[in-house]
Amino acid sequence: MTERRLSGVGATPLSGVGTAVWYAPDAELGSPPDPETIDADVERERFETARDAAREEIRAERERTAARLGEAESEVFDAHVQFLDDPQITEGVEAAIGDGLPAGHAVDRTFEQFIEQFEGMEGRMAERADDLRDVRDRLVRALGGDERADLGSLPEGSVVLAERLTPSDTAQLDPERVAGFATVTGGRTSHAAIFARSLALPAIVGVGTALRNVADGTEVVVDGRDGTLLIGPDEETRGGTAGEEAVEVRDGTVETADGAPIEVAANVGTEADLASAAERGADGIGLFRTEFLFLDRDSPPGEDEQYETYREALETFPDGRVVVRTLDIGGDKPVAYLDLPDEENPFLGERGIRRSLGPDADLFETQLRALLRAAGEEAGGELSVMLPLVATVDEVRQARETMESVAADLESEGVSGALPEFGVMIETPATAFLADALIEHVDFFSIGTNDLVQYVMAAERGNDRVAALGDYRQPAVLRAVHTTVAAAQGTDVWVGMCGEMAGDPDVTELLVGLGLDELSMSAVAVPQVKRAVSETTVADARELAARALAASTKREVDCLLTEITR
Amino acid sequence: MPERVVTVVPEDGLHARPASNFVEAASEYDIEIQVGHVDGDLVNAASMLAITGLGVTAGEDVRLVAEGQEAEAALDELERILSTPEGEG
Repeated sequence: MTERRLSGVGATPLSGVGTAVWYAPDAELGSPPDPETIDADVERERFETARDAAREEIRAERERTAARLGEAESEVFDAHVQFLDDPQITEGVEAAIGDGLPAGHAVDRTFEQFIEQFEGMEGRMAERADDLRDVRDRLVRALGGDERADLGSLPEGSVVLAERLTPSDTAQLDPERVAGFATVTGGRTSHAAIFARSLALPAIVGVGTALRNVADGTEVVVDGRDGTLLIGPDEETRGGTAGEEAVEVRDGTVETADGAPIEVAANVGTEADLASAAERGADGIGLFRTEFLFLDRDSPPGEDEQYETYREALETFPDGRVVVRTLDIGGDKPVAYLDLPDEENPFLGERGIRRSLGPDADLFETQLRALLRAAGEEAGGELSVMLPLVATVDEVRQARETMESVAADLESEGVSGALPEFGVMIETPATAFLADALIEHVDFFSIGTNDLVQYVMAAERGNDRVAALGDYRQPAVLRAVHTTVAAAQGTDVWVGMCGEMAGDPDVTELLVGLGLDELSMSAVAVPQVKRAVSETTVADARELAARALAASTKREVDCLLTEITR
Repeated sequence: MPERVVTVVPEDGLHARPASNFVEAASEYDIEIQVGHVDGDLVNAASMLAITGLGVTAGEDVRLVAEGQEAEAALDELERILSTPEGEG
């Protein structure tokens, strides 16, 4: 077999070789549950939601197809939307739900009648049966839930191929058994890509529909470093790629070639991530997301439970710093015990610090108590507290007052604690503009590029259609970073970056030149970024940054960066 | 009840693009519009499934029936779609 290559977007700087396994989450619906257990209203709602999701997907697919193959080829998707919204389908599904079927089975039963009818017809009508199957599969997939195939029990050495992988899909993947994955859709900042990095899995996203031609059982190499999928690699390629660890791990702080220290830290979102961050040589934790403590449970974690978790993180990095972000939650994540509002656009709604100073004030205080107690521990590294989604100086002032009153409470109770370093995550354009006004209230800034890009560019994360806009190489984003760093210059406030940009070794020199003191990323990227830092000189980096800040288009920025990495 | 008989001109018949256009146009009107073979049962003109199920080919006659406000306007538009050769719609 000769080698063939498909290209996509590399999600992790790792490569892996294995056997292709197609992941089709719609394989089997199983037998329907007892009708007594079905809440028809809930099922109708699930159907509506799934239909909206499927409609979005079909439209996106139409756009992609029009771009790749032309308008004529994409027209079939118009018919798919019409099948999806067909009054007979709606009536059929609603009737089936009324008979006590869950949404997935109701969809299946309704479509089956029409598929059979079309198959019994001649010629072009029969072809329509395939279109109906496609629409049905989308709906059933969108209804997901417990009806998915098991990704946790794949044979060792599998390379998972899929249309898309949801965060819950990737979370099931076991890096010990899975050699990597490749998906038809998705971009570098899609959730699947981010999960892949946190699991250190070789992965390529956005390969396009050509991926569908790769058969189950084919030998493939997933090379996330340059975003290629090699199909049927020859022995030489295989030997050269398989199992190669990209860069050696370095412990201890790295300096640029001319002696400027740059802290290289890791982002963590679970307790398990702590160990992997330490293994990969992170100097500390630049972003400790605390949401995992609060999700998937019936009541919020208590003060002691949180204290133990934070203390453990500090013990993992006895000589480093652990930046803990306070609870960043909003209407996009379901939390049973919180009364989260149903918002049209949760990313612009009541979330992050807005909730902590509002309806979740009690949770915020409990979290601060646990954090201050952990900060008071002699053993372990230094703890810092960081506020998410700040937009005004008042929010910072109010949060600081809360922290100080929590400290006073602890003292009057005779509980040991300490005031930690206090900082703000720069992820709204408002905080970038206000950086100079925020300086006097904080010890540090950490630029959260994923959300900053989304808000500066008004381009949703993970939306393929606006992927080019939602890119941290956009000059507007670089200028927001510059404004923040410039505000801190000559003060004691340090500036870090936590976000996908910080973990991209291709922009490390640019970030050093922009004046960042700390870079925090998925653990998997730490060794590469440490190497990139050590190969940089501050003088060259500053010149590159000056040229990048003068650029007016992303294309110019891209050209500057390729010139450098050439 | 306004109705008329129209000969289907597009090469594809009531399939593919013409069918999509037809269903889309019929869905725009908030009234009941039906279509069928001249001597057969009528189906909902706003249902892609039903239209596809009719299997109408080029050169065939179909019967259009509409009832309610703007019935004539709706029939005019649908007739125009059915009598426009492909690529000119």
